[in-house]
Amino acid sequence: MLNSLKKEMVPFPLNRKLCSSWAKDLPKGGEHIIYTSYMYQLASVFRTYEKLLPRLASISGLSKIASLGKYLIKPTKEDLERSSLILNNIVNLLKKGGISFGYLYEEEPYSGALLLEMGFIDDFKEYGRRLSDFFETKGIRKLITVDPHTTNALTRLKGMSILKVEVEIYFEHVQGKSLPAEYVLHDSCLYSRHLGKRDTIRKKLVNSGLILKEDPFVTANETALCCGGPLGPVDFELSNKIAALRSKQLSKLGVPVLVACPLCYSNLSEHMSGIKDIAEVMQ
Amino acid sequence: MTLNKLGIWETAVERAVLNNVPKVKKILSDYPYLETLAANVRDAKLKVLDNLDWYIDQTMKAVEHSGGVAHFAKTASEARNIALEIIGDKKKIIFTKTNVAYEVRLREFLQSKGKEVWETDLGEYLIQQSGDPPSHIVFPALHMTKEAIVHMLHEKLDPTITPVSNHEDMVAAVRAFLMQKYLSAEVGVTGANSVAADTGSVALLENEGNIRISTVLPPIHISITGVDKIVPTIKDAMNELLVQSAYGGLFPPSYINITSGPSSTADIELKRVSPATGPREFHLILLDNGRKRANSDPVLRQALLCIKCGRCYFSCPVYRVLGPSWGNPPYGGPMGAMWTAIVDDDTSVANLCAHSAGCREVCPVKIDIPAVLEYIKFLDSKRRRTAGRTR
Repeated sequence: MLNSLKKEMVPFPLNRKLCSSWAKDLPKGGEHIIYTSYMYQLASVFRTYEKLLPRLASISGLSKIASLGKYLIKPTKEDLERSSLILNNIVNLLKKGGISFGYLYEEEPYSGALLLEMGFIDDFKEYGRRLSDFFETKGIRKLITVDPHTTNALTRLKGMSILKVEVEIYFEHVQGKSLPAEYVLHDSCLYSRHLGKRDTIRKKLVNSGLILKEDPFVTANETALCCGGPLGPVDFELSNKIAALRSKQLSKLGVPVLVACPLCYSNLSEHMSGIKDIAEVMQ
Repeated sequence: MTLNKLGIWETAVERAVLNNVPKVKKILSDYPYLETLAANVRDAKLKVLDNLDWYIDQTMKAVEHSGGVAHFAKTASEARNIALEIIGDKKKIIFTKTNVAYEVRLREFLQSKGKEVWETDLGEYLIQQSGDPPSHIVFPALHMTKEAIVHMLHEKLDPTITPVSNHEDMVAAVRAFLMQKYLSAEVGVTGANSVAADTGSVALLENEGNIRISTVLPPIHISITGVDKIVPTIKDAMNELLVQSAYGGLFPPSYINITSGPSSTADIELKRVSPATGPREFHLILLDNGRKRANSDPVLRQALLCIKCGRCYFSCPVYRVLGPSWGNPPYGGPMGAMWTAIVDDDTSVANLCAHSAGCREVCPVKIDIPAVLEYIKFLDSKRRRTAGRTR
């Protein structure tokens, strides 16, 4: 992963053209950029990769995994369609809010969030400096993020005085409309407890017209459990068990589940159906 | 944890969460001053950490001043040997719940020296009998359902305990057994929820009454605790008891105990003499075992603020799934992932933190547990790299 980040600024060999094909008519580059960090496009690929890691390690040795990467890492048609729908919805919401921005297409780099979440802080800082230089070279002043892992990584880099560009989350600047259906929101831990956006997301959703079902043991700030996603690269079995537990809790509330993170969607979807991203229900 | 035990664990922890979470919320709502006390406890502990060596010295002097004997142990091994030396040829020892004694494996050590040692806290007694590691810092037998306890007590203690027995029957059976042990005990070993540097007093919190008996009935009382438990004053020590009780969901506590030296009386001409009815000897063993090193690290020192209320466990998805399999007993859950790095120098446990941060939301002394665990992960990644290079 480190080698790939150093060489290509993505965590593994990746078909960038395919991953940026969701964007059709956005200007290339510009001062304000929508920044996906490939999270929506590759969420289930991350999951597949994590699932295979122990087997590959035992078969081939860790050094060979990277070379296997190019054969493994290809988003499915279904994933591409779903991510395209969500990302285009986000684009439309932003445009409705009068916000103009561009996109880096195949040049978009990965945020480095994995390094941070696995505790490789020195590597994360080093990569962050490179990322900051990259954005500066491109003349970018503001990044509009679409997922919590990227937002958290960039926010941390700013806190470390490494990243200079502004970082804003898309939903802070939009006001969508939703059908008045009832949902339970599975909070992203990063949005709600690390970035302090728990109330912001709820307010946006409720103002859009939908109804949120709350439960003191399932959705409270103190009790809401995570989806297990961050543990995928460390211990897939544990990550999966946490996802199963969380799905069981959410299912008990008897209404469809909303998520605001592609990794939450990917993890929980293995145990329950009908999950929607907030950018799928807000128009 | 084996897979067939996972179902039991899921049931047990679910019941515990359903009981504990609303209780703590209600306590904090009914007694709003407790949150202020928690902030005061944090400040008091920070004051000690800023000048730890001075406070250790002050505490030891104060213990001696009150007629007790103070001991400092750098390592777990030193602590065990100090305790053995105090106990000497006495055979019958009773323990109250003490995490630091578990940390240094004191019970097993004393048993290996031919001592008869009994845990008197019900939860600790249950895990002593079952041979299981503790599954929670405050509720060590949390992993055992009522059904599992019935089975174990029937087999090991009282054949009249059967599946139709209720909770009260089981508590009564253990009480009857332990009463014999209290009466014959020669040494009582406790921990300390807090230690006052100004008076050398040890403060202990309980609900069962076992600590009160164990600190008064045997002629020798040994308190073993970490240097992180020192607070500046006896007032701070009392505050810590109230805060721990509240955030553990057991407020008000049935009993709080303050021990300042051995028993004494001033009933004849107001001259204070010792011993009186209670113990003739009081010993405080203050343990370092990595705590001073942690205090010198600006990130790790945050963990030393922990009052061991165990509330963070229930907000943690990893603990909810893995239970006692995560961490090195007695330190489990999110706080245990920090404390394992401190006392066992094991940085690998933190790698299973999912940084969901519920632990930080519920911590009474506002430790940024995810930040500490991220830092420990970082230390671990550096170690693994170094090991990889030298392999």
